[in-house]
Amino acid sequence: MAYVRANMFYEREQWKKPLLVSVGFHGALVLAILVLGYVLAPHGTSNWGATGEGSAIHADVVASIPLPHTEESPNIVANESKGVTQTVPQPKPVETEDGISIPGKVTKPKTIDKPQTQERVQPRPTPTPEQTAVAYGEGGPVSGPYGNFNTTSTKGGFSIQNADFGAQFGWYVQNVNRVVSNAWYQVEVDPRVTNAKRVYLLFDIDRNGRPSNVRFEQRSDIPSLDQSAMRALQRIDTFGPLPPGYRGDKVSVEFWFDYHR
Amino acid sequence: MLRKTGLLFLFLLLLLPLTQAIAQDWIRTGTNRGAPIRLAVPDFKPSGSDPQNAPLLSVFNDTLWSDLDNAGIFDMVAKSFYPAAQPGQPSEMKLDAWGNAPVNAAMVAFGNLGVNAGKVDVQGWLFDAKNASFPQVLGKQYREDATPDKARLIAHRFADEIIFRLGGGIPGIAESQIYFVSLRSGTKEIWSMDYDGANQKQITKLGSVALSPRISPDGSRLAFSGLTHDSWQILMYSMDLGRTVAFPRYSGDNFSPAWSSDGTKIAFSSSMHSGLSEIFVADASGANARRLSTGKGDVSPVFNPKTNGQIAWVSGRTGLPQIYVMDADGSNVQKMTDQGYAVSPAWSPNGLLLAFSWVRNYGPGVLGGQDIYLMDIASRQIVQLTHDGGRNDFPSWSPDGRHIVFQSNRSGTEQIWSVLADGTHLQQLTRQGRNSQPNWSFK
Repeated sequence: MAYVRANMFYEREQWKKPLLVSVGFHGALVLAILVLGYVLAPHGTSNWGATGEGSAIHADVVASIPLPHTEESPNIVANESKGVTQTVPQPKPVETEDGISIPGKVTKPKTIDKPQTQERVQPRPTPTPEQTAVAYGEGGPVSGPYGNFNTTSTKGGFSIQNADFGAQFGWYVQNVNRVVSNAWYQVEVDPRVTNAKRVYLLFDIDRNGRPSNVRFEQRSDIPSLDQSAMRALQRIDTFGPLPPGYRGDKVSVEFWFDYHR
Repeated sequence: MLRKTGLLFLFLLLLLPLTQAIAQDWIRTGTNRGAPIRLAVPDFKPSGSDPQNAPLLSVFNDTLWSDLDNAGIFDMVAKSFYPAAQPGQPSEMKLDAWGNAPVNAAMVAFGNLGVNAGKVDVQGWLFDAKNASFPQVLGKQYREDATPDKARLIAHRFADEIIFRLGGGIPGIAESQIYFVSLRSGTKEIWSMDYDGANQKQITKLGSVALSPRISPDGSRLAFSGLTHDSWQILMYSMDLGRTVAFPRYSGDNFSPAWSSDGTKIAFSSSMHSGLSEIFVADASGANARRLSTGKGDVSPVFNPKTNGQIAWVSGRTGLPQIYVMDADGSNVQKMTDQGYAVSPAWSPNGLLLAFSWVRNYGPGVLGGQDIYLMDIASRQIVQLTHDGGRNDFPSWSPDGRHIVFQSNRSGTEQIWSVLADGTHLQQLTRQGRNSQPNWSFK
């Protein structure tokens, strides 16, 4: 009898073939997926959102939604009436320099700065009086607490461009206005004229108050009116010396003449 | 590189003053015939306890108020509107109390007065009540003997300063004088008074008749017409010496002297040439008299004080006396009035206006008074200054050109009156005796 000895431990399994089959199968599977994907994928140059393709919802922005009208009940409890009572709004928390305090928040105590020692301030040198000090009675403004008072505009439309001169010597500007106005004889204007464009003259006032360099800036196109304005300036010898506190040599004036009969 | 930057900076620094010099201040304004300046003048406060303070303060405050009120450019705020606390120092001035209702002052004049060791010290300020930043317009200090006359003088000077600053540079008239003819001593002599009628003093003591006083521009000499033993002559009185000084005497009758504003010439009417009055001009010394007019019956010459290039005078060459104007050399004669009876021309200081006395409708049975009129020489437009007040004659302009003094019998006798050139603020200056022919000093 043939003795068949089976020794399983010595029997080697043959895996080479299944491995090759498996690799081949998976490779075919991957290839199949790629081929299928290529075949099924859309081809062409269509753009997203292109006109005529696809559809989109068109939305308009409106201020409010038009709700259907509801039948309103006369009962003020049922309808949207505000009623006759009024709710007093709660007072807003007072804003302090540290901001609005948040309830419940534990504020971190401020760190105390290290105390600083006061620096020694060097005494300022005593200013020596200027040699060009203005003599008594000829000087500029007196400093002192005179309260707040706003300069009121006068009739006729004062507008002074130079804030320094106009603000400091407003009385002189009014002098100029008054003197020219009084020297302007409106009877010299053609009586048939009832209304006219403004005449603008330019001139300078020198240190002694004398007008000079008088010329037209804009004419009214009414010769008698233009001439009366020019004559007004020619009649004036002086507006009075420029204020002693003013350091310039002259001021320039733009003066307009309004004529209405 | 650093050096170049430094040089550039230095160059710009040097340019800075130049740019400041080139910078020009501008005023832009237009015609505005507004109300006069609203001025508050609280009584000056005593600055000490000297018993003389009160009477001097009374004189000072009254004079200052009167001067400013007479100036014609202020709307004086009544004292009843003033705040209870009135300032005597700038530190006491509360502008908002004066600039707001009910005072509503545009300007406030205030100060203090005190007597110390026989001298009166006055400090005065003018503040712009509408300008809190730069309120002071004027500050002055005066010291004189502690007498009422000096207190008046200080008030005049302070008023003149205010008027000068706020009146467009035209000097005030508070220190000016008026010369006039008065009969109160028994004969017609020349007298003088302050512009407001105070301090009336006799100047001449001729003992006959003195007329037509004309003070020289510098106030040192007084020319007038005097009746000598045989004729009317131009006489000269020295205000410095207090007596009549030499002046040439011409043949015939010589009347109505008139100074040129530069004091170098005297015009007068004289009959020395033809026996009838003609206009002559001589040097201030009376020498080199030369005839200007050839008409007959020419009197009352007066120079245009602005130019001294023209003379206005009265002539009866066409009948009733009329006003004429000619150049100072006698050429270019123009007749300014052509109806009625026009006399006594007086040229305004700015040379633009002629005041004269006019009986516009003259003749038997014609009603009409003799009034003062003003003529704008360029346009020949005439404005009547006085109305329905008897006979008004001999107008004379104040140095500021805002007032006119004249004689009038509206009170029953001839007296001296003054009026603003717009016809308002009529004031009687003399009340004693009969007074006529006023002449206002040049300054």
